[in-house]
Amino acid sequence: MDLLGQYLVNGIMLGTIYALVAVGFTLFFGVLDVIKFSHGDVLMVGAFAGFTAALGAAALGFTNPFVQLAASVLFAVSGTALLGAAIAKWLILPLKNAPRLNILLITLMLGTALRESVRLFYPDGSNPKAFPALLPSTAWQFGNFTLRADSALLVIAGIAVIVGLHMLINRTRLGLAIRAVAQDEETARTMGINYTLIVLVTFALGSGIAAVAGVMNGLYYNEVNFGMGLLLGLIGFSAAIIGGLGNLYGAILGGFLFAALQMIGAVALPFASAYKDVFAFAVVIALMGWKPTGLIPERSSERV
Amino acid sequence: MMQTTDAAPAMEAAVPATPGPLLDIEALSKSFGGVRALNDVSFCLGRGEILGLIGPNGSGKTTSFNVLTGLYRPDGGKVLFDGGNITGNAPQAVYRAGIARTFQRSRLCLELSIFDNIMVGNHARLNQGLIFNLFNRKAFRLEVESALEEATALAASFSPFLAERMFAPVGALPMIERRRIEICRALISRPKLLLLDEPSAGMTHEETHQLMDDILAVRDRQGGLSIIIIEHEMGVIERVSDSCVVLNYGEKIAEGSYQDVASDRQVQEAYLGSA
Amino acid sequence: MRAFILRLPPLAAAALAFGLGLVYAVVFMEQESDVAVISLVAFAAVAAFAAGRIGLIRRASLAAGTHPGAVAAMGGCMALALIAVFAEDHFPLLMLATVMLYATAALGLNVQFGYTGVVNFAGAAFFGIGAYTSAELIGKSVLPPVLVLPLGGLIAAVIGLVLVFPVVRTRGHYAAVVTIAFSVLFKTFLEVNDTLGGPQGQSVGPVTLPGWSFADGPVVFGVETSFYLNYALAALLVLGLAFVMVRRLERSWIGLALDAVRLDETASACYGIPIRRAKILAFVAGNLIIGVAGALYGSMLGYVAPTSFTFSDSLILVAIVLLGGMGSPWGTILAAAIVVILPEKLQAIQEYRFLLFSVVVMAILLFRPEGLLPRAVRRYLPVPQNEEAA
Repeated sequence: MDLLGQYLVNGIMLGTIYALVAVGFTLFFGVLDVIKFSHGDVLMVGAFAGFTAALGAAALGFTNPFVQLAASVLFAVSGTALLGAAIAKWLILPLKNAPRLNILLITLMLGTALRESVRLFYPDGSNPKAFPALLPSTAWQFGNFTLRADSALLVIAGIAVIVGLHMLINRTRLGLAIRAVAQDEETARTMGINYTLIVLVTFALGSGIAAVAGVMNGLYYNEVNFGMGLLLGLIGFSAAIIGGLGNLYGAILGGFLFAALQMIGAVALPFASAYKDVFAFAVVIALMGWKPTGLIPERSSERV
Repeated sequence: MMQTTDAAPAMEAAVPATPGPLLDIEALSKSFGGVRALNDVSFCLGRGEILGLIGPNGSGKTTSFNVLTGLYRPDGGKVLFDGGNITGNAPQAVYRAGIARTFQRSRLCLELSIFDNIMVGNHARLNQGLIFNLFNRKAFRLEVESALEEATALAASFSPFLAERMFAPVGALPMIERRRIEICRALISRPKLLLLDEPSAGMTHEETHQLMDDILAVRDRQGGLSIIIIEHEMGVIERVSDSCVVLNYGEKIAEGSYQDVASDRQVQEAYLGSA
Repeated sequence: MRAFILRLPPLAAAALAFGLGLVYAVVFMEQESDVAVISLVAFAAVAAFAAGRIGLIRRASLAAGTHPGAVAAMGGCMALALIAVFAEDHFPLLMLATVMLYATAALGLNVQFGYTGVVNFAGAAFFGIGAYTSAELIGKSVLPPVLVLPLGGLIAAVIGLVLVFPVVRTRGHYAAVVTIAFSVLFKTFLEVNDTLGGPQGQSVGPVTLPGWSFADGPVVFGVETSFYLNYALAALLVLGLAFVMVRRLERSWIGLALDAVRLDETASACYGIPIRRAKILAFVAGNLIIGVAGALYGSMLGYVAPTSFTFSDSLILVAIVLLGGMGSPWGTILAAAIVVILPEKLQAIQEYRFLLFSVVVMAILLFRPEGLLPRAVRRYLPVPQNEEAA
């Protein structure tokens, strides 16, 4: 029972992180119809920014973990948001009229460049870094099952971000503008929406959310490393696709579904748990063959 | 989304297999979400006839082409072509049955040459065998030479300019030439039915009339080609069509000769109402 | 100078270009010091620019249209000459053979996404499948080792079929995720699989023909050569075959159909082109070529390990295709030479090679998407002489 409970908490935790990554993919696809594959590595940069800020705050004498945490999140989110907007401005928008494959390729290469830059230029970047434990280590005991405060806080924070994003998209003028651009670029322009600005803001937003996921991931595993973004990006991308690219709720569903698959792969299946990702991706690939446009399909936009 | 049909019998020359109309559309319907893009539309097209398909924007003209050519699956109704039922067939099968089309917005492969673009339309008549293409280069050479000759002759009947530069990339050419290439691409396979989706789009009045004259000349030479043309320029419809079908909000509101439909009150209202 | 070049028959221009290339390659490979290598790279950049300005490249590429066979033969002769020059030296031969095998694999990728637009970010995985086929079968089965090479290609193609359904049913970005997932998982799979050697990998036996083992350098005219000579010649043969087949494919009706599928699926469908069949053909044929190259590569290195076939290596293969120019076989070979040799000769950048080439490809995509040697318009047959000036 307690083991199952641990797996459940773990699954919800991972599902939240995956959903946060997937949401970014879906936002970018919504406004620009592009796949920004560097997303996972942007997340990694966010995690390293957060890690650096936490250490920096400590070095400046702020020993209070909450101050460190605030510095970490703030620095990670703002830095990554800027990075996301810069990517959109200088790499993606210039290629908007090129074949769509080129954007996928350039962001793939950018992901490699970010990954390699951190590995090569961050001090001792090729080794994993121990992320400081900034959350309270209290734990509650429910019979055999232990619920740790840090896990609970992380899940709550993640869900708060998702709810916040939902409110932003549906209840604010900015959200309205993002939805308008996603619907139809031309119409949005004629309605006086600053198209480029909205695209940049959307990329900043999606990247900032990825940074939250990156810091969460660091706090949860007490570790950051230069390669963490590749698999997380891939999982987020898969989650967004099985949910239905361009659909916010599909992305969230996809994130939790992927975590569930991994847990099933680790617990319920007879082979080694090292194969859990193989299993999860195999199911995802099969799902894509079965429902190519995702569980909640994207709108088909091609005009003939 | 696309379905593959692997059997690729070469297209027969236009032998009237069965008597009766070439194309018989019965009660065709298609909805997108809640919108009825086509509602119970029926019409016939005789062999060798030219039919003008007209109506205000968004009245379902292009949708009917898309259903006819298998890009969309109809929700109801039947499409009978040349004695066979082609309802809901894949686009590839519709093309093999002898229907070729052009698109409202030019859909040429801009990086490829004029010859390549025309040959895309000739897919059914070219030997697609792997062994033939990779290992039997002598026979392949003969096929290329005869195809080039045929394509050049066809292009020349529209524009000597094109015929002189069959291996120039399409991307650098002006709109009128691209339109001509699209029509050559549709005609090269000698279809029985040609669907023209707004050939005048992006062209001047004179260019459009020139283009229609060229199409009619090729039609006279090939013999038996039927045409459905979607067109906003009424002068073109008046000049070339044997009969007209008028659509509005996905429904057929009139049918008959151009003079008849042009004087129809409902038709006039539809156009004025949407203006 | 320019006037002289313009009066040169295209075939002579091509011969001149290959000759200069040969001399440069020999000089380049002989250099040991970083300063000399860097100076030569800078010299190559300037020389290439100058060759472009005086019209040599244009003139030479005309020959590729009028006399494709002769130009291909010249390329083969240049490679043979290089192999002959370094016949006794292990390292240069290993490098040459690696270039040729990477070029072969990149030609396979070219069929997939250069022509057909089917993305494959698992190129290194299929290369690895070929290499592991060699590891498992050469010397450990009754099969003659030389038959293992085509078998490596077949197995890569068959394993690729597992992915083909989702790849073919979906468009662009979905195929990307499927192949990326495969690429990432392939390494994980190798690492946890003890029968395949686990993280350490395993050794691979040499290719043998009756009475001839690739493990020994043949004695030619009394000269004891490196055993890599066998592999370099075999690699040249494999590359030559792949090159001829890919060229023929491109210059055929099938090649046209593949291009049409890449550029406009809807229009292709309306003109009878079977989209799925085209994509399956391209994916399978590409993986076949990649797998054969990988099988020979594995045997040449003598060992295989999961770390040689990572996602980053797949991206290096993609980088070769983009750098050379999508759909341009000559460009692919040139780019393979640059991407493989540069980090080997310049140990200082070895560590930085993934970063370097990802940045180079980003620049290519932004500023010169057609690549170093852009693909020419398809001519199905050799261009008639009188048309060459056009």
